[in-house]
Formats: sequence, C-alpha cells, structure tokens
Amino acid sequence: MATQFSASVSLQTSCLATTRISFQKPALISNHGKTNLSFNLRRSIPSRRLSVSCAAKQETIEKVSAIVKKQLSLTPDKKVVAETKFADLGADSLDTVEIVMGLEEEFNIQMAEEKAQKIATVEQAAELIEELINEKK
Amino acid sequence: MGASKLSGMQKQVLSLYRGFLRAARSRPIEDRKRIEMIVSTEFRHNSKEVDRKNFQYIEYLLRLGTKQLDQLKSPAIVSLSSIKVVTSKT
Repeated sequence: MATQFSASVSLQTSCLATTRISFQKPALISNHGKTNLSFNLRRSIPSRRLSVSCAAKQETIEKVSAIVKKQLSLTPDKKVVAETKFADLGADSLDTVEIVMGLEEEFNIQMAEEKAQKIATVEQAAELIEELINEKK
Repeated sequence: MGASKLSGMQKQVLSLYRGFLRAARSRPIEDRKRIEMIVSTEFRHNSKEVDRKNFQYIEYLLRLGTKQLDQLKSPAIVSLSSIKVVTSKT
C-alpha cells in the first residue's frame, strides 16, 4: 500500500518517521550468493529499527537513485525519489537484478539473494544497503 | 500492490542471471563487458521468445545455463566460445 508524497514532504517524513519504516524479511536467509532450490518463504513480522542518521540515509538514497538512472539509461533530469518503484521506471526483473548487482559493487556489499529479490523501490534498496553496511562495522 | 510474487522457476532464472553477472565481474574489463552484453542479450531474448508455460524447455535452458556458468567460472577457460554457440543457435 503506497501513498504518494511530494519530494520535500517525502524527505521530512523520511527523517521524522524512520522508526516506522520497515519491510518484511524472509524467515530464512541464505548465506550464499546463489541458491539452487526454490521454496516458499514464510512471511515474518516486520521489524522496526532506527536508521543511523537522516543525513546518511539521504546520501544513500541519492547514490541509489544515481545508480538506478545509470543502469536503466535514464536521462539525468528524470525524477527518482525514495518512493520510486523500479517497475515504474520501466525496469523488468532482469533490470532489477542488474540494479542490485550495481549497488553491491558501488557499496562493496553482498546482498542475500532472497532479500535482493524483494527490493522494488529506491527506499527499500537504501534501507537494506545501510543495514548491511552497519553489519560490517 | 507492488512487485508480483516470483515463481520458483523465475527465481532460478534470476539467480542464474545474477551468477553470470557476478562471474563476469572477476574478469578483465573488456572481457567483462563482452560477457555482460552476451548474457544480457541471451536472457532478454529468451524472456521474450520462450513460452512461460513450457516448463520442460525452461528447465533445459536452466541446466544448460548452469553448465555454461560453471565453465565461465573455471580459470582454465579463457574463451567465450561456449556462450557464443548458444547465442548463435537461437
């Protein structure tokens, strides 16, 4: 269920309400970059967490947006914000794989495949990236 | 609303695609670009041409792709001829 925000309101909401932002995580997390089996993931209760800082989050979102534009060959003036869905930019599932791979390389992280496959918006990507970066510290 | 739930077979395809891109990453830059171009073209061609309900053929393609990926990962393999063969067949 997605609500549309204007860019400025979106930023404020993002900073003020980070504790409310969450997405469902799979019950099982693969430790390998690749899985040979497919299975139904049980939906777990969304977890709440604090982001490190609003500034870092905005920076991450901007970086993610830049990579998405590059990967999809969008013009620089194309508007990409936190709530933008990759699908709304014309990305199919193969494009999304490429975006995720590009993000992994840029931020020097590895995303578990099950989590990566669930990413559909810039914000979801940014959240997972910051989560993974924090785990490395 | 949002992205539709991926079927098991779809996940396997995306996983294979991801594996190819990851394998390409360890190659010198020119090789990498060629690999990425070939792989991208092949997957997109098949996503357009292959009937999504032809499970037998999709499974065949998945096995073939996995075999090619294993070859690509092998340090002994320096040419891309095996991938080219499939490209020319389609």
